[in-house]
Amino acid sequence: MFSLYKKELQSYFYSPFAYVITALFLLIFSFAFSSSISDLSGTQLTFSFPGMFYSNLYFFIFLIPALTMRMFSEERRTGTEILLMTSPLNVFQIVIAKFLAVATVYLTMLVLTLFFPIVTAATGGGVMWSSLACGYLGFFLWGLVCLAIGMLMSSFTESPVIAAILGEGAMLLLVFIDGIKSSGLFESLPKAAKVIGQFSTNERFVSFSEGIFKLSDLVFFLTTIILFVGWTIISVEKRRWSRG
Amino acid sequence: MIEIKNLTKFYGNNAAVKNISFTVKDHEILGFLGPNGAGKSTTMNIITGYLPSSGGKVLIGGTDIAENPSEAKRKIGYLPEIPPVYPDMKVKEYLKFAAGIKGIKGAEKKAQVEDAMEKLKIKDMENRLIRNLSKGYKQRVGFAQALLGNPEYLILDEPTVGLDPSQVVEVRNLIMSLKKDHTIILSSHILQEIQAVCERVVIISHGEIRAMDTIKHLEDSMGTSVVINIKAEGDREKISACISSVAGIGSVTEVIPEGDNVNTYKISAENDDVRKDILSALVKNDISVSEVSSERPSLEEVFVQLTASAPKKRDLRDLLNEMESENPYYDKEEQ
Repeated sequence: MFSLYKKELQSYFYSPFAYVITALFLLIFSFAFSSSISDLSGTQLTFSFPGMFYSNLYFFIFLIPALTMRMFSEERRTGTEILLMTSPLNVFQIVIAKFLAVATVYLTMLVLTLFFPIVTAATGGGVMWSSLACGYLGFFLWGLVCLAIGMLMSSFTESPVIAAILGEGAMLLLVFIDGIKSSGLFESLPKAAKVIGQFSTNERFVSFSEGIFKLSDLVFFLTTIILFVGWTIISVEKRRWSRG
Repeated sequence: MIEIKNLTKFYGNNAAVKNISFTVKDHEILGFLGPNGAGKSTTMNIITGYLPSSGGKVLIGGTDIAENPSEAKRKIGYLPEIPPVYPDMKVKEYLKFAAGIKGIKGAEKKAQVEDAMEKLKIKDMENRLIRNLSKGYKQRVGFAQALLGNPEYLILDEPTVGLDPSQVVEVRNLIMSLKKDHTIILSSHILQEIQAVCERVVIISHGEIRAMDTIKHLEDSMGTSVVINIKAEGDREKISACISSVAGIGSVTEVIPEGDNVNTYKISAENDDVRKDILSALVKNDISVSEVSSERPSLEEVFVQLTASAPKKRDLRDLLNEMESENPYYDKEEQ
């Protein structure tokens, strides 16, 4: 299983792939960072990193599927899936190894963004590290949910492009759940709105970003990740049965 | 020993493999022969655990591939039709990875990778990207992958496709040499290949087994008759009479003139053994013979005969059932 994890990591880092995406990610972040600074006014001169994360969510919807789109579709297209499926590894191990690898890439991207708070601190600014850590945790968990969704989409199709588009669609839906909830239709149906609200990742992300750590939020993110990873395992297994 | 019992595979409503059973003995090379689309690859994919079967059992050395896949897969090395190689990896890196997922560790891994590269003669390519290799080399890298972990059983799906003639000979020799340590199932639609390498063949067509026997038996089953060619110098009438006098053969069927007073006589005989009698009869009559050969119906003819015809309908009910399944407008209620 470790071999597969290692190979997956190599496939990201031995190609320009991970670097291009990380660079784009940091570029987006630095735009948000510099615009936050230039917007500073008043006497307090504060800005929030989690706020930057939040505004980056929308860009992320396009970056994360690019990471996940090839995970299973490419294997199926090139026929290398056979190698994995006829090895002593089972589907559970294959999916977990691949997920951990892509999560590692994502973690690397996040760690690199620590550059911005470090620069802020180094240039004399005050950084609330505890609150920031909580924000990072929230962002990491939210990203894992998106990676799990992207991975699932990749297991549905043979074409990486379609996998990416499906992933973007699913993540857009996730982000806009709040918008749907507060739409006129659901305003008139408060009970339905409440049910939909339970699935919203944004609210939970916001509480993380405000430095509030709630066990219920952690459980929500973890169960969602498990749900989509589990679904991927089922989907890959199912493809075996319905192939032909 | 690999046992395949009543294996069936449906793709939707189409049966790709219909109730086939055969056994592969230890240290045997079994040829799996059939035209394109006969169900060869499907069967091999099921044996290796890639596809689940719709019915039946596959036992790999006594382990059921469906019930205990991880243990059964450990015993198998598989080279699929399309070599499962990652274009973005280097040859050695790829083989190390393949060894890794097969659970081979440390020094053992290094030794096995080296050994496999040695056997397939890809050592000088070890640092090349697989993407840049020719089809033949990709095939060999895939083959090397199958040898990793020293599996008891090797399943090779068309291992020589895309190789040039000299590579084909090399790979065939390799397969022959692997026989002493491994049990091999080899599929091909190329007859010469099967003939050159395998002792026993399973001929499959339309998902059914048409024949399962040694190559020699198969050829014999086409009728034991052989055609003996004798090139001799001398009077035509005399030689014909002399040949006809030998017991156990038919008459001379054809005489082909070859030159001045030299003819080739074609004789149909029950079997090869009469050749000696004919020769001694000719020698007794002071006739000089310059060439003797015999022809038997080739495996090719056996193959064409066995695979060309569509499966016979066993009875009327089968035929009706088939019509029913093929025709969506066929309404049972109307009967």
